[in-house]
Amino acid sequence: MNDFDICIIGSGAGGGPVALTLAEAGYSVLVLEKGPWFREQDFYKDELACCRRSVYTPDLRDEQHVIEDLEDGQWQATPTSESGWDFWNGNCVGGSSNFMSGFFHRLKPVDFHQLSEFGPIDGANRVDWPISYNDLAPYYDRVEHEVGVSGKFEAHKNIEPRSGDFPYPPTREHIVSSWIDRACDKLDYHSLRVPRAILSEPEGKRRSCEYSGYCGSYGCSSGAKGSSRAALLDRAVATGNCEIRPHSKVIRLRSDSRKKVTAVEYIDGKNKTHRVQANTYVVACQAIETARLLLYSTGPAFPDGLANNNGQVGKNLLFSAGGSGSGDFEFDSIRPDQLSPFRQLGPFVNRALDDWYTINDKKLSAAPLKGGIVEFLFSHPNPTSRANSLKWDDDKLLWGKPLKRKLESWFTTDRTLRFEVFNDWLPTDNCFVSLDPRVKDRWQTPVAKVRIGYHPHDLKIGRYLADRGEQVLQQMGAVRIDSSVSGAPPANLVAGGCRFGNDPKTSVLDKDCRAHEVENLFVTDGSFMPTGGSVPYTWTIYANAFRVADIIKGG
Amino acid sequence: MNRKPAPPNRHRKKQSLFHWREQLLSRRRFLLAAAGGGLACLFPLASMADKQAMQQDPWPVIDAVQQQLFPGEPGIPGAREINALGYLQFVVNDKTLPQEDRDFILQGTTWLQGMSTKKYRRGFTQLNNNEREQLLRLIAGSEAGENWLSTLLLYIFEALLSDPVYGGNTGEAGWQWLAHTPGFPRPPADKTFVQLLKI
Repeated sequence: MNDFDICIIGSGAGGGPVALTLAEAGYSVLVLEKGPWFREQDFYKDELACCRRSVYTPDLRDEQHVIEDLEDGQWQATPTSESGWDFWNGNCVGGSSNFMSGFFHRLKPVDFHQLSEFGPIDGANRVDWPISYNDLAPYYDRVEHEVGVSGKFEAHKNIEPRSGDFPYPPTREHIVSSWIDRACDKLDYHSLRVPRAILSEPEGKRRSCEYSGYCGSYGCSSGAKGSSRAALLDRAVATGNCEIRPHSKVIRLRSDSRKKVTAVEYIDGKNKTHRVQANTYVVACQAIETARLLLYSTGPAFPDGLANNNGQVGKNLLFSAGGSGSGDFEFDSIRPDQLSPFRQLGPFVNRALDDWYTINDKKLSAAPLKGGIVEFLFSHPNPTSRANSLKWDDDKLLWGKPLKRKLESWFTTDRTLRFEVFNDWLPTDNCFVSLDPRVKDRWQTPVAKVRIGYHPHDLKIGRYLADRGEQVLQQMGAVRIDSSVSGAPPANLVAGGCRFGNDPKTSVLDKDCRAHEVENLFVTDGSFMPTGGSVPYTWTIYANAFRVADIIKGG
Repeated sequence: MNRKPAPPNRHRKKQSLFHWREQLLSRRRFLLAAAGGGLACLFPLASMADKQAMQQDPWPVIDAVQQQLFPGEPGIPGAREINALGYLQFVVNDKTLPQEDRDFILQGTTWLQGMSTKKYRRGFTQLNNNEREQLLRLIAGSEAGENWLSTLLLYIFEALLSDPVYGGNTGEAGWQWLAHTPGFPRPPADKTFVQLLKI
């Protein structure tokens, strides 16, 4: 007799849908979460807690990564405790979904068959997915209701097929959104109203958005943000069938010679080791940690790590390629009646451009290329971080009255509108997770080593899109317009590493996200994605986890 | 933003991807030298043998440096008005601060005093405004010295713009000066990051 029907490791966007679906179906569910369990009443708009101290992420001295980047033609490994380059994104119940900005995009049909549509690229491991957009579409719909997505269906040139309107009207929008629309009209671009995983109306125990303007990077104190915790796990627990154990760090999955997982071993907050048995095991620790856990979980049938007899675990890790840009709007240049709404913090921008999701531009390429999106947004209003970035005058440290005049100027005379470019991070042999041979975490297990190589094609596409973003800012009358595209990965936009596919030789999971080699093991975070698509991952992770939950439920 | 910028380094001054490695090495070299008494190679004017300097209370020196870095002006807050010193004491006493960072902040005063004594035959707090400024410019010329001043500036900014619940930003003076609108709800005393780390 097992302790639980289902044991889920990780409580973020990949774990929550499985917990809720199966708990509601009457299965007994255990969720093991490494971090603490914060509630709405623990989240405040506090820059130190959110962004300057390790409250929601581990102290890098205790738990870290080793990052391998290319320098002078050599792969150089640097532990993040030394570099300060933090690859954790939220280790608490609900995971990083607590701290997302929540601008939500579905993948488009073309993302599911990039190889057939655009052909191979040298040095990139482009493949088609084993499922199509139509397989996932009903689950994108379900996320809109279960997680809560606010938006409005409008006919749009590139809109992916969908059924019906959104369950919640759009969140309140900032005056700058209409300026973006106007500029795009002039340029003959088609601005898109972006849905948001934030409640514009209350639902159950969750209040609607309170528009404080401190959203991304901050935990939500109203419950409006569609985190896995607020939207799914609280409801899963309320069924009486789901138990969440915070401060439970899973060390390894045990497996037998018949290639079945037999138990999970975890260490609690008091350093006591526990062992739990379940019929089905679901891993959803975010891509890097999922790969690390499988690699470390060796067993009699898996000498190189669980489900890794073909050496695919950790391979083809994905980030999100692209970059960002910005332009300033000087208060002096804004119509007096619009100044006060322009300075307002709360409402959302909710605008993106997907005109170049597929690029048909002969100047760039004879054949169509996979492109991406440009998303407009204001920076998080984190004043300490902002001030700290102003202390350099070129390479010289600034202080005293000159520094104070600069602060006054940057804080009080203009506001910066930003855009972010999202395009595919092509899967390559130079981006993968392995176990570091030297560095260990505080439980004495090897940390993940992440090689972060990128394909140069990513930069070409990113630059093409960033130029379009700059054009919009130009048309809007912004000054000091600038953008940058680089191969440095955004650590919070991560997927891949346990590809799903039909061929066990080149993929870890089958199309149901069950391990090819392990009958009772599923992976439901972003790890399954064999190519990334050109939008942030969260909606797709949620949708796919609901899809897999239905498969597990159906037996 | 949704894209997490890389790499966020507290002492970053250049945007280049790998600059943090240089910064790290600079701090490491400084601490190694400080531990081994070999600072002379980094700060040719500093005399670590100055025992008097080493035994001094670091806080009056830090107070004076903070006022130099962030002076008060009529109607505009400076280090004193935002309680930058008290705030830094909170930071240094916070158990979650890495020991390396604590040492770096405090030991910096020792060699500043050493340099002051060597150059002016007086401690930093006894210098006039011009001398203080010149000495800070001098140490900013070395990478570790610049790094130290940059660290002090970071915590001045935290004192200026964090929620007053942490002891700085007295009367919200920093927010008012820079017309900054804080978010809501704001953290009460029992939900500071120090408390949240206990959950």
